[in-house]
Amino acid sequence: MGPGMEKPGSPADRKGSLVFSRKVGENCRHIAVELGEATSPPAPGQFFLIREWGVFDPLLGRPLAPAASEGRRLEFLFQVTGRGTNRLASLPPGAALELRGPCGNGFPAPLGEKLLLVAGTLGIAPFLGVVSSLGEKVGVTVTLGVPGKGWEPFAEWCAEKIPGIRLNSDDGSIGRRGDPVEDCLALAGPGQELWGCGPEAMLRGLGRAYGKGCEKVLVSMERRMGCGIGGCLGCSIATLSGMKRVCVEGPVFDWREVFGEPLRN
Amino acid sequence: MSPFGISLRTEIGGVSLETPVIVASGVWPMDPALWPGGSLDGVGAVCSKGLTLEPRDGNPGCRIVESYSGVLNSIGLQNSGVEHFVAEELPALSQTGRPIIVNIAFETLADLEEALGVLKRSASKISALELNVSCPNVSRGGMTWGIHPDSLESAVTAARRAWDGILWVKLSPQAPSVGEFAELSQGCGAEAVVVGNTWLGTAIDNERERPFFENVFAGLSGPAVFPLALRAVWEAAGAVEIPVIGCGGVSRPQDALSMILAGASAVEVGTALFVDSRLPASTCRELERHLVMKGLSSVGELVGRARG
Repeated sequence: MGPGMEKPGSPADRKGSLVFSRKVGENCRHIAVELGEATSPPAPGQFFLIREWGVFDPLLGRPLAPAASEGRRLEFLFQVTGRGTNRLASLPPGAALELRGPCGNGFPAPLGEKLLLVAGTLGIAPFLGVVSSLGEKVGVTVTLGVPGKGWEPFAEWCAEKIPGIRLNSDDGSIGRRGDPVEDCLALAGPGQELWGCGPEAMLRGLGRAYGKGCEKVLVSMERRMGCGIGGCLGCSIATLSGMKRVCVEGPVFDWREVFGEPLRN
Repeated sequence: MSPFGISLRTEIGGVSLETPVIVASGVWPMDPALWPGGSLDGVGAVCSKGLTLEPRDGNPGCRIVESYSGVLNSIGLQNSGVEHFVAEELPALSQTGRPIIVNIAFETLADLEEALGVLKRSASKISALELNVSCPNVSRGGMTWGIHPDSLESAVTAARRAWDGILWVKLSPQAPSVGEFAELSQGCGAEAVVVGNTWLGTAIDNERERPFFENVFAGLSGPAVFPLALRAVWEAAGAVEIPVIGCGGVSRPQDALSMILAGASAVEVGTALFVDSRLPASTCRELERHLVMKGLSSVGELVGRARG
């Protein structure tokens, strides 16, 4: 396979069309995109850079991990936070989009029999497909954290997609009061593999699971993204083994690679 | 050869290119296996990441912020150093079938000379050297090499002395006069000038009430800078005999054509490839279409045609 040739599972630029765009609560959107050509099924945690086709302002694609994929159809969740996501949220069905992906490494198949998934708000996206794809082979438990009031529609939507999901909120208005890290630590134990996706402070907190006997903690890191293919180095982070690109060597890293040696107590 | 039977082959400062579209430095990974599918179509040459004598981790903190129709970046020349490049990256790059242009940055002239000594060992795989004069000159308190005539002259002269191959100078848009600095580079023995690099700007994180970037200032690129770069190309092309390579904000095939009509012999594309890996191919189609429409047969006939 020569350079610049299309390789299965590696990023390519594709045109897509918006199938639907639905509100899930006040600030969250659930969209579906139909690609002009099929993409190989992305691994959980891989992402696409998405932008409105042919538009230079905003310029860059927004990195979003698919919440579902089947054939030429991809679904995404995003929070409306700035110019790019506002623009994406305002597009009508049929709007032309440009997608680069799938980018990054994604979560590798779990080695053990028990998997604990910890998500902060929209960090749930890459985990939505995991329960259905691994549920029979691996015992999967999902715990989600949201700020609280105003997030009920989002939490309900997630609960419909993942029956048995454990809900946590900062203000106690949804599920348990507290953050998903505390919930996860109450469940963590030997033989369990832990995957996290959400705010960096939450991911850092997951290191405490080593003290509970978890041997493998994987975290999906988020950074501002330029090219998405490892060229611009805008998303580089310092790791134990040197600078790494979140868009190529990541976004999924071993917790210790990113945060260092965990405290065991 | 295109469906119209037109060749876009062109020669830029001693380098023969199949097309006049060059992938700018710092855009594509140094590992060609990571280049997106179809992305080599229409590409005449590929510039390396900005290399330095020693490996560099680059800048800490926020490195990239989107702006209106553009991107601010403060990467800080993260690279593995010239030794690693020659041993581990250049062999694969040279297998791509495209001329490889090596972009070199430096803090001191001694560093530059030593780095060029390393690159010389693989000179046969390097089609041209692109001297990056937008990096800081340590002996002048970190002032950019390319914004003072004396320091630009010393850098180009040192590179010319240490490098037997083809030398391009990638000018800084922060230079007070692009025409004079292009002429100075020509006088010091450069075979071509690249006009130019990113434009200094900044962005403030209003929530934190601090600049986004640890170095405060960052380089602006993307469609926002195209009219500025086009003006700079016009000025440089009016000042020198050597080829001018346009670089800055080229985002559509028509932009590349405009730059050539303004006097560029080739164009570099950068930030636009963040969102459209097929821009080189569509640019070539636009150039062919324009040549046919105007009854012309070579890119060379388009160069500077807008100047009357």
